[in-house]
Amino acid sequence: MRSEYVWAVVIGMALCNYAVRFIPMAFLARLELPAVLHRWLSFIPVSVMAALVVGEVLRPDGRWLPPLQNPYLFAALPTAFVYYKWRSFLGTTVVGILFYLAFRGLLG
Amino acid sequence: MSTTLPQQALCLSAQDRLVRGVRLGFPIFLGYMPVGAAFGILARSWGFSPIQAVACSATALAGAGQFIGLSLMKAGADVASVLIATTVVNLRYVLFGATLSPHVRDAGVAGQAALAFSVTDETFGVNINDLRRGTGDGWSMAGVGVVAWTGWVAGTALGVFGSGLVGDPYRFGVEFAMPAMFTALLVAQAEDKRHVIIGIVAAALTVICMLILPGKWYIVAASIGAATVGSAVYR
Repeated sequence: MRSEYVWAVVIGMALCNYAVRFIPMAFLARLELPAVLHRWLSFIPVSVMAALVVGEVLRPDGRWLPPLQNPYLFAALPTAFVYYKWRSFLGTTVVGILFYLAFRGLLG
Repeated sequence: MSTTLPQQALCLSAQDRLVRGVRLGFPIFLGYMPVGAAFGILARSWGFSPIQAVACSATALAGAGQFIGLSLMKAGADVASVLIATTVVNLRYVLFGATLSPHVRDAGVAGQAALAFSVTDETFGVNINDLRRGTGDGWSMAGVGVVAWTGWVAGTALGVFGSGLVGDPYRFGVEFAMPAMFTALLVAQAEDKRHVIIGIVAAALTVICMLILPGKWYIVAASIGAATVGSAVYR
């Protein structure tokens, strides 16, 4: 690849990604949002997290795994319980990885 | 910090709040290192110089967008097509920015300009959870952003310069770091019956959207769908 081509992409990618992050945040922070939009936005975090978990667990690395041979799926259930009981993100992440290693070993 | 009483949180200095954010974001660091390393290795083998690969991660911080850009470049796409594709992939940041916007009013435009730089799926999850609980602020968000950025850039540098040093990080199961953190964040967001039900609606919509939409569009589609159901049903 030519160096100027790569640099053009690197610089352009930085600007484009920054624009989609900054413009909506800064623009909406200046407005007084109507109550209905506040209520709508209040459901966004739980919805985004549900979408991320389902996507990462059922189709890790872009490949669907059969549910009964899916260590991500088996590990996610006790991981959820550990967070529910313990309320620590770092602790849950570490324990979750251990669950995952165990199920990956068991399921081959 | 000898006590964790909530009212003490308000008394923390800016530095303490920044450090608190770094701690909160540490799982992201664990998850970003190996993926950043994978990007570094791939970028290097497909014709990026070491400095270009690290600069790309340091300035774009774009995860999937970077990988898609890379594969389009390898296929010989022109600059504009690569930029359009990576931007479209990351349009979900618009939704994240909108959701964060009421919480960053006090930061001012300069603060928002700094905080916007580190918005990703992972930092959004950690920060919105913290902000909704009333424990987060601009400083803790900055701490989360710094530790996430460091993981992504250090991972890329590791992939570029020393992929032989650590061997295969996947033998440690690091590929489950992000799913584990998202799972914890999902449980944290399910704070009452309404949010549990909307989370279930979102999960069901996600499966449908994953089957019919390309790439990561299921995240935006399922979230917009579920939030719309939520705001229509619970008035």
